[in-house]
Amino acid sequence: MTTAVPLEDESLPMVRRFVGRNTTYYHSVFARIHGESAFRPGFNGAAALAGPLWAGARGLWGSFWTLVVTELLALVLLGRGWFGDLGADSRLHAAKLAAVAQTRDMDAKVALQAGDPGTAETFHRIAVNLHAAADNALAQAQQAADSAPRLVVLGIALWLFLRLAFAIAANPLYARRYVAWRTRPAVGSGFDVRRLLLAVLLVLLMYPVTVFRFTAAEVPVVLLHVPVAGTLAGVLAGWIDAGFAALYSHGAGFFDGMRDVIRFVVHALETVLVSTPWMVTMALFVVGSWHAAGRRVAMLTGGAVAYIAVIGLWELSMQTVALVATAAAGCVALGLPLGIWCGRSPRAFRLVRPLLDLMQTMPAMVYLIPAIAFLGTGTPPGVVATLCFGLPPMVRLTALGIQQVPAEVCEAARAYGASDWQLLCGVELPLARPSIMAGVSQTLLMCLSMVVVAALVGAQGLGTVVLESLQYAASGRGILAGFAILLCAVVIDRVVQGAFAADDK
Amino acid sequence: MTEEPVIELEGVWKIYGANVEAAMADTRAGSSKSDILERYGAVVGIADASFAVLRGEVFCIMGLSGSGKSTLLRHVNRLVEPTAGSVRVLGQDVLALDAAALRRLRAERVGMVFQHMALLPHRSVRDNVAYPLEIRGAPLARRWEVSAEKLHLVGLAGYADRFPHELSGGMQQRVGLARALASDPELLLMDEPFSSLDPLIRRDLQDQFLVLSRQLGKTTLFVTHDMDEAIRIGSRIAIMKDGQIVQVGTPAEIVTRPVNDYVRSFVQGIARDRLVAELERLP
Repeated sequence: MTTAVPLEDESLPMVRRFVGRNTTYYHSVFARIHGESAFRPGFNGAAALAGPLWAGARGLWGSFWTLVVTELLALVLLGRGWFGDLGADSRLHAAKLAAVAQTRDMDAKVALQAGDPGTAETFHRIAVNLHAAADNALAQAQQAADSAPRLVVLGIALWLFLRLAFAIAANPLYARRYVAWRTRPAVGSGFDVRRLLLAVLLVLLMYPVTVFRFTAAEVPVVLLHVPVAGTLAGVLAGWIDAGFAALYSHGAGFFDGMRDVIRFVVHALETVLVSTPWMVTMALFVVGSWHAAGRRVAMLTGGAVAYIAVIGLWELSMQTVALVATAAAGCVALGLPLGIWCGRSPRAFRLVRPLLDLMQTMPAMVYLIPAIAFLGTGTPPGVVATLCFGLPPMVRLTALGIQQVPAEVCEAARAYGASDWQLLCGVELPLARPSIMAGVSQTLLMCLSMVVVAALVGAQGLGTVVLESLQYAASGRGILAGFAILLCAVVIDRVVQGAFAADDK
Repeated sequence: MTEEPVIELEGVWKIYGANVEAAMADTRAGSSKSDILERYGAVVGIADASFAVLRGEVFCIMGLSGSGKSTLLRHVNRLVEPTAGSVRVLGQDVLALDAAALRRLRAERVGMVFQHMALLPHRSVRDNVAYPLEIRGAPLARRWEVSAEKLHLVGLAGYADRFPHELSGGMQQRVGLARALASDPELLLMDEPFSSLDPLIRRDLQDQFLVLSRQLGKTTLFVTHDMDEAIRIGSRIAIMKDGQIVQVGTPAEIVTRPVNDYVRSFVQGIARDRLVAELERLP
């Protein structure tokens, strides 16, 4: 088709509603653009003249910001070339150098009068060097000042080019916005005076200040730094400190109890894992993974165990396993009920979801701060920080699994008189199991990834070795320990995944 | 007939939305459905439905999708709570039952079959059939014995150890039927049980159901959107439109004396010769 296909009849009122002002012009423009398969440049005079203001008034904010930023670049170039004192820095430098050189000349004269020609000679040489440097700086200043006309030309050229490019791009962009508006009227249409005012305001706010900042010789401090006194942060931090202290003093029994329980559990696990003769523990791991996930995974486990034993990290690895197991068990114990609750009640999920997002996004180290404040140093805060980090995937995937249980199956169970508990245990949990198991696996890996961070507060294990290698630059040992952590993660993942696949068969 | 009906619904209303009470009051004052939707954002699902099902009857509720027939069915075992009205089932006021009594009614006296089977995918056919007994805490030997018997009844002996996904759609629905019969309920609720099956299998299952129904004599409330099916299966038919019951009658009454054009439009679709054959079959 070579002839322009006119827009369908209903398009005129629609275009009129969308465009608001200048409807006949835009109707023909849209008809042309939508009637052609290849791009043919056109020119929008209003866009060329008003630039960002046109974009703003028409609601094309993406174009507005692109144009504002690039135009500012052009205007800064122009302003520096036209008004800017380009050599100022270098001239100031030259003047300083010259002043120092003069004092050195004086020093030389004084030394000569005092009858010390050696010192005078030294001062003199310094003064000569300084004079040379000052001359050099002056030459640079002159060179910079000479480049001013070029900057002016460059700035003007860039600005004209931007306006020209925008004038050509404006109509296709606006036509595309029209197509988007047809399906989603919320994107905004027409020529809106309020939007125009906002665009004018933004341009008036940004252009003069930015150009001034880059051209003026003496820039007011207000333009360079955000004018705040440092007191507010101090006050807030003080409040948080006081809050932590109050919370700790009120809940000392609770926090101490929690610390003792965690310490006891981790310690008991450690004792079992470390004190049991190593060949028994190792055999348990290998045979256990065989039964859970098959021969291949058992071989992988065997390899990992052998590596850790040969490298001499067995005891530390068992401490890490104890810590991760405690944290992960905590994650499951808290995350499963929470996930079930979220899966059943969309409202609860809406409440909990931002919290989970926060927990996952917060840098892991930040958890250490309250953990230390309430639990002191050592393994307990490490476990709690790890738990916070590993909890979100457990909750999310459990909730997802529960949500995915077909409503009709649940209804059938209810129709046969199942109670809430029977529904949960007999239908929802079994059907959500794949998702829940994925949650457990994810949580275990997240916990393992926290091992090094937990070591920062004194949690014992493989993380300690990595941390020490950072502190004492003992790279070799640190990397060996890192591999041990990696192997633990791979083994855990394979065993859980394998156990799960085997169950499905 | 002096015996109390097995199911008796009186003036049942179901309104969905936020401000249900005000909407209900306004409805009683005579406002139309569109007014209710406009004023309260509430949707009238069931409007003043009343009917009674006698012992041994196969009572069909026929209507197009969205007419509220499945919702109405779910009032019988209170899977859906009515906004107003009374529901009596097997001599009990269902709406007055506490949670435990309601669960007992569902587990022991009412069986239900679903449109999409709703079998438990992680359980064998045997355990699916035995599920209602398991809910009641029956011992394993009893559960297996009953499920073997019911599977035999629906012609699926030998499939007990398969999983639902290994069976065809028709076979799955027969498992659903066996499950509904497992606790020997006095009342069967069937929610479009055959509509997701292809026509040949549907016909086959309808025949099988008719035989079984006569043999067991269970009172059945049967929901369908298929007039042919309603006429083949039902001893009486209630026709629903927009949440209201338009006409209740025997297939012969519905076909020969439709109350309005809406019912007539359904009946016109029935082939004349087929109709005669079906009517002769009726007792």
